[in-house]
Amino acid sequence: MIKKTFSFLIILLAALFIPHGYSSAEAADVTISYSDWQLAQDIWGRSLREAIAKFEGLNPGIKVKPEPVALGQRDVKFTTAIRGGKGPDVFALDANPVKQYIKEGWVKDLTPFIEKEGGKEWLADFYPASLMPVTENGKTYGVPKNVVAMVLVYNSKIFNDAGIPNPPKTWKEFREIAKKLTMDTDGDGKVDQWGVTLVLAKACFDLRFSVVLRGHGGDFLTPDWKHSNLNTPEAKEAFNMVVDMILKDKSMPPGVAQVDCNGARRLMAHKKVGMIFGTMWTITEVAGMNPDLHGWKVLEMAPVPQPEESASKIRSTLYQKSLFMNPNTKHPEAAWKLLKFLTDNRQMEKWFIDNNMLSCRRSVNDSFGPILQSKYAAIVTEEIDQHAAFLPLMPQWPECLETFRQSLQAAVAGQKPPEQALMDAHNQIETILGR
Amino acid sequence: MRIREKYTGFLFIFPAFLLLVSILGFPAFAAVMQSFNLIWVKIPSFSLTSYHRLIGDVEFLGTLKNTVIFVGLTVSFHLLIGLGVALLLNLEIRNKRFFRVIAILPWTVPDVIGGLIWRFMFDTLPGMINAILLEFAIIVDPIDWLGNPKLAFGCLIFAETWRGYPFAMLILLAGLQAIPQVQYEAAQIDGASKFQSFFYITLPNLKYMIIIAFVLDTIWESRLFGMIYSMTGGGPGYSSQVLSLLTYKHYFLFFNTSYAGAIAVVLAVFMLIISLPYLVMTMRRE
Repeated sequence: MIKKTFSFLIILLAALFIPHGYSSAEAADVTISYSDWQLAQDIWGRSLREAIAKFEGLNPGIKVKPEPVALGQRDVKFTTAIRGGKGPDVFALDANPVKQYIKEGWVKDLTPFIEKEGGKEWLADFYPASLMPVTENGKTYGVPKNVVAMVLVYNSKIFNDAGIPNPPKTWKEFREIAKKLTMDTDGDGKVDQWGVTLVLAKACFDLRFSVVLRGHGGDFLTPDWKHSNLNTPEAKEAFNMVVDMILKDKSMPPGVAQVDCNGARRLMAHKKVGMIFGTMWTITEVAGMNPDLHGWKVLEMAPVPQPEESASKIRSTLYQKSLFMNPNTKHPEAAWKLLKFLTDNRQMEKWFIDNNMLSCRRSVNDSFGPILQSKYAAIVTEEIDQHAAFLPLMPQWPECLETFRQSLQAAVAGQKPPEQALMDAHNQIETILGR
Repeated sequence: MRIREKYTGFLFIFPAFLLLVSILGFPAFAAVMQSFNLIWVKIPSFSLTSYHRLIGDVEFLGTLKNTVIFVGLTVSFHLLIGLGVALLLNLEIRNKRFFRVIAILPWTVPDVIGGLIWRFMFDTLPGMINAILLEFAIIVDPIDWLGNPKLAFGCLIFAETWRGYPFAMLILLAGLQAIPQVQYEAAQIDGASKFQSFFYITLPNLKYMIIIAFVLDTIWESRLFGMIYSMTGGGPGYSSQVLSLLTYKHYFLFFNTSYAGAIAVVLAVFMLIISLPYLVMTMRRE
């Protein structure tokens, strides 16, 4: 009996102390999580995981757990988790929701970390415009990673086959070329190639439609973001042109109301359209969707068209991805190390090599050989520098944008005349901004 | 001892009660509080602003109308088709089990997946529906099923009818099997036709089951989200948007938590009114 009791005690002690010993050995390592919608993508996912592995190699005490998230579910997941005191330690956001995250306290103020790195001097390498979305009241809440500007992407082979030597410079040319490219290519009497497709579905609508509006010299909101700007002649012209191209010219494929950015890329990859609005990633994605297209060879870029003799400087929209730290993180130092690593010059060069993405660091775009040699980067960097601006960086923006999109869809579906649809959007946005 | 016995029952239901309170009760309470601007805001203060805003919001009123039409039509179709299929499956036929499994299959498809399947089927260019119609020369040009407001709403009702009818069918089939055979035999001896048997025996016996199927299905359809989100996203415009989608949009996309709370409260009241007959009936039976 005594022997049995003694054995039981030994086992009990072992059970108590062995796991304890194991966990204290593991406690030396810090595990942080990194969430990014691009982790779920094939090429970007691989590239990010490679960078994370390199980071772990350089920082033996830190383990990084990648947490892919679907873009459509990103804000739902992040905001719910952060409100509940959890969430990824480091995460990526585009510029649109950042001001809301800052307002609600869902991102950590990084100013103390940046001060330790050298403060303004450390930030000086980033484009001043790229710091706008992540800065509020002099505090910096995120580190800019990649930036691009939207341009016109066209298939030069389709253009050549139709006898069109150059991309459109004006909207008049754009509409004419779109009509000319809309044709029956296989001789069965049915149209199977269209001039252009826009993105009218929710995903990616903002970047694509805004260039049509800005290219016409208009915009969604007034420069101070206090009123709707949709009652201007420029906005009316842009809105009517799109509706007419869909309903009258029929130079966009049927079902364009459901086309999202992936749908648009797929149409271009399978030679169904000659033009789309896109940017650096468009080439990688479209070329990857259909190797027979020889995307890197036939796809070309051109600035967004403008009216003849336009005085407007802004014609494009900036897209930026930045990295943020969760205010609930238990390992802020490790999280900052990761954040800094993923945005340093070496990684910025990697993002271009792997994903054709430009950097928010001016020094990388201005001196990295492959960027300087890229025909695409030359066009996009000029747009970033001279002709592009962010969409309104304000909490009410998502609601304003969705209101506009719904009105455009109503006009395209024939529910309302275009003038009334645009005026309804204008009035509703005024109400949203007046609250 | 008697007191102990009296409270033993409470002890048994306590874990389930705790689970219900934490999973359902707390979020419901939080939604009500948020709708009055009382929690999770920087400066909490009682406000009816969100409810005032509801009255003048054209999108909310349009969405409420859509919800009523959507729920009314889908539940009606579920009951009609469910009853029809249940009557067929109640017949003495060969391979009855096989047909039962086939009939239940749509119910096993998650609503988001169902929405995606139908979205691809109704797609304008590569969609299967247009491909078939074009192949048989029924149409000349592809139809923009999900780009036309009326067609999109119709497609949505069609898809949800397909996915949801087995629920009503299962309840009604269980009800049909519980009807004593002697009632039909007595009716046959009295010379009743099949229609008379259906209207005077089957339907009265199924009354409670029909009410249960109606109430549960109405609640289910009122809060349906995945199918609509993945199939039309509420569009074009907001022509196929329902209240659950509008709540989601305001909470997670626009971060209007108080307004989203108010919409959710209206939806909950709507469902409570619908479920009252079921609750009364269940309590009476007990």
